[in-house]
Amino acid sequence: MGIDKIIITNRVALNKKYGPSVSRIDRAVERLIVADKRRGIETMVAAIDSKEAMTAVNGKAVFDKNDQKAVKAAIDAIYNAYHPDYLLILGAPDIIPHQDLKNPAYDPNGDEDRVVPTDIPYACDAGYSKEPGKFIGPTRVVGRLPDLINVSDASYLVSLLDTAVRHKTRTRDDYQRYFSVSAEVWKGSTSLSLAKLFGSGAAMVTSPPKGPSWTQSQLAPRVHFINCHGAQSDPNFYGQRGNDYPVAHSAKNIVRKIMNGTVVAVECCYGAELYDPGDSDMQPGICSTYLRDGAYGYFGSSTIAYGPSEGNGQADLICQYFLDEVINGASLGEAALRARHRFASAYAHLDPTDLKTMVQFFLLGDPSVHPVNAVAHGLAKTKTYKQIFKAHQNIRGTRMLRREKNIRTGVNLSRTLGTVKKSAEEVPGKIAGLIEAMAKETGISNFNIKTFSIEFPKDGIKGNMRRLDGLRKGRLICMLTGIKKNVPKAAPGRIVALTATLQDGEIIHMRRIHSR
Amino acid sequence: MRLYGRVIKKMLYAGTKSEHEGIVLMTPEGEFKLRRRGGNPFRDDVLEALEGREIDGEGIVRDDKFIMDCWDIIK
Repeated sequence: MGIDKIIITNRVALNKKYGPSVSRIDRAVERLIVADKRRGIETMVAAIDSKEAMTAVNGKAVFDKNDQKAVKAAIDAIYNAYHPDYLLILGAPDIIPHQDLKNPAYDPNGDEDRVVPTDIPYACDAGYSKEPGKFIGPTRVVGRLPDLINVSDASYLVSLLDTAVRHKTRTRDDYQRYFSVSAEVWKGSTSLSLAKLFGSGAAMVTSPPKGPSWTQSQLAPRVHFINCHGAQSDPNFYGQRGNDYPVAHSAKNIVRKIMNGTVVAVECCYGAELYDPGDSDMQPGICSTYLRDGAYGYFGSSTIAYGPSEGNGQADLICQYFLDEVINGASLGEAALRARHRFASAYAHLDPTDLKTMVQFFLLGDPSVHPVNAVAHGLAKTKTYKQIFKAHQNIRGTRMLRREKNIRTGVNLSRTLGTVKKSAEEVPGKIAGLIEAMAKETGISNFNIKTFSIEFPKDGIKGNMRRLDGLRKGRLICMLTGIKKNVPKAAPGRIVALTATLQDGEIIHMRRIHSR
Repeated sequence: MRLYGRVIKKMLYAGTKSEHEGIVLMTPEGEFKLRRRGGNPFRDDVLEALEGREIDGEGIVRDDKFIMDCWDIIK
């Protein structure tokens, strides 16, 4: 029998962290394997530090748990040996590290994240690299069940595993109501996202004036969509009105109020950062609190995120796509994969902020969990159909077809999608004049312009793509960032970026992004 | 750890979702975004009151942030 799902962990790191109580985690993992089997999923555990396990997959055991290159190679070896439909990373980054990618939008006066810690490389066939542009074609379904960094109480991880063990697939109706809190300054953008997902944003609440003491009944819907400010090592999300940044959502205020089966999409900066609770008076982050209290999945970013103040872009879109896929019956892991595919597919190339968005969001949760039942077609109600498929939603055959589609999309993206690279090229004088004129017309002052070249993969140049090869040469991105006049400090929209795409020295596309 | 430096106000994370005017500690070791453990990272009146002062703070450093537990005003 083939293996459908692999739980990847580091045995020595777990033993060292938990001592004798690691046996509680082992028993919870065994319960998960049994529960998976009952729903037609064959699951095994692979320890990347085990010589025996790694030799069996022609890989090398990991000796230093923080050696990201060795960990990536080990996970690739495991995947390539078994080709499982699901990869579940067990543990926080002090057990299995994130992969630190370079931040394509790094700016010492703006986006100061030097690296983007993420799990997307584990979902990609490309080998170890720090270049985010190498990981734009994910093909694997990956999620992480994180424990708490530097906390050796096994109960936390056991509770997350048991949530996966006992999970129930519910009807679409159970996921038609939502809880959504938005910073007041972004209510237009959040409302638009909700209208696309649910037909209306009327149930959205804004901060200020609302929050953070939500009642159990307010938090009862099983879809949570949050668009607020977030900060590093901080257990709160924040609203905004002018210079007022009240707490909108707080880890301590959601304890024991989360409905089992909740699925969360969080646009906030650092919304899925897994930090050491010791940095914050032993208060774990909001993501960790949701998962402990029965949420099935949590989709968020490790670092500073992007999005327009009005309309939808970047973080709005990738979070929307994730929830849309979940509500339509995808597993959590497939929803995360397809959210990335849909986001990347929308562009001819990814500019610096799009590329950062693409790699910074990841799934916390068991990727094989289907929170929502896909709506069955009429044929599925027939006796013969039921006889053929034995009532298992997750049968291998249809899953294989979905994976085939996802692998094809990921491979196509990695072979055809362009990504940016910082360029030393000067902005042509005439173009600089036009962009500066546009900046002045928009009311932008104190600006500077950076240039980026676009690199397209060579192996996708086939058939009609050859025609594009010539067109793509000589493409340049010019990004002007500056401050909008007469907008108060810290007000949304004060910082504006104008992104111009140049082809052979002519502007062919322009885009304006307002800061949040 | 302890860090000594001058407290200033500065626009942080320009152009991102986190853009705001924040408090920064300028030290001989470099520039650190200043936060109080348990304080609001976007607007903290207690830290804003330190603007222009030289302080000797105790806390933890996380990347480019200094999360303070306590401090002495030196000047």
